[in-house]
Amino acid sequence: MKVEHKLIRSTLYIGLSGELDSSNADYVRGKMDELIENSIDRLVVDLSMLDFMDSTGVGVLLGRYKRLRAKSVPIFLASPQKGVDKVLTLSGVYDIMPKISN
Amino acid sequence: MENFMSLKIYSKPGNETFVRSVVAAFAAQLNPTMDQINDIKTAVSEAVTNCIIHAYAGEKPMADCPITVDVLLDGGTVHITVVDEGVGIADVEAARQPFFTTKEGEERTGMGFTIMDAFMDKLDILSGAGQAGTVVRMSKIINAQCSMHNAQ
Repeated sequence: MKVEHKLIRSTLYIGLSGELDSSNADYVRGKMDELIENSIDRLVVDLSMLDFMDSTGVGVLLGRYKRLRAKSVPIFLASPQKGVDKVLTLSGVYDIMPKISN
Repeated sequence: MENFMSLKIYSKPGNETFVRSVVAAFAAQLNPTMDQINDIKTAVSEAVTNCIIHAYAGEKPMADCPITVDVLLDGGTVHITVVDEGVGIADVEAARQPFFTTKEGEERTGMGFTIMDAFMDKLDILSGAGQAGTVVRMSKIINAQCSMHNAQ
């Protein structure tokens, strides 16, 4: 599981690659929280390299959403693969974190 | 096609990753599509994660925390049974509801059984309060023609 990031102007891009489940959720959560401490206007989570995610991953995204909502920073979910997209759609996540294509 | 496998493994973080890969590789004999494989992987991951997070949340020695995963390929259908011997589910009907979780503060979504239900064709949960353990049985039709042929 890899967490990469880049900051372009005030947009933070976080790229997740590998398989996100309960075995590495704490790592991803910690890494993302470290990154979103910076002052940003929006967060784009790039899911194009994420091969697998279950409901534990949905929990990680929702947790970050709650943190950033307190600072009025929106989250966008970019280019999920088909399987990840199915989990996110079923969980209703796109209602609060819109899906975008990169 | 008929085939069977059984896997017994410790309740240990990281094993959900292993189990879903093994089950997906075994079910590949039915020539599933990529989408079907992903459905199976996701459902198995949810079931095994439940064992690790809920059934065996306490500090017991790992040898006392087995998870058993049986996979039966029958015709064109895959039947998966995930069994733990830990803390059971007091109210199974409530647990099946979307967003129901007993671990509110830990960023759990309560979507596990909802995902298993949606990604598989059949889901049965046998459990109870206390140290009842839980049996999760789920089936998915991979190749309907093959399944019908076998039933005849």
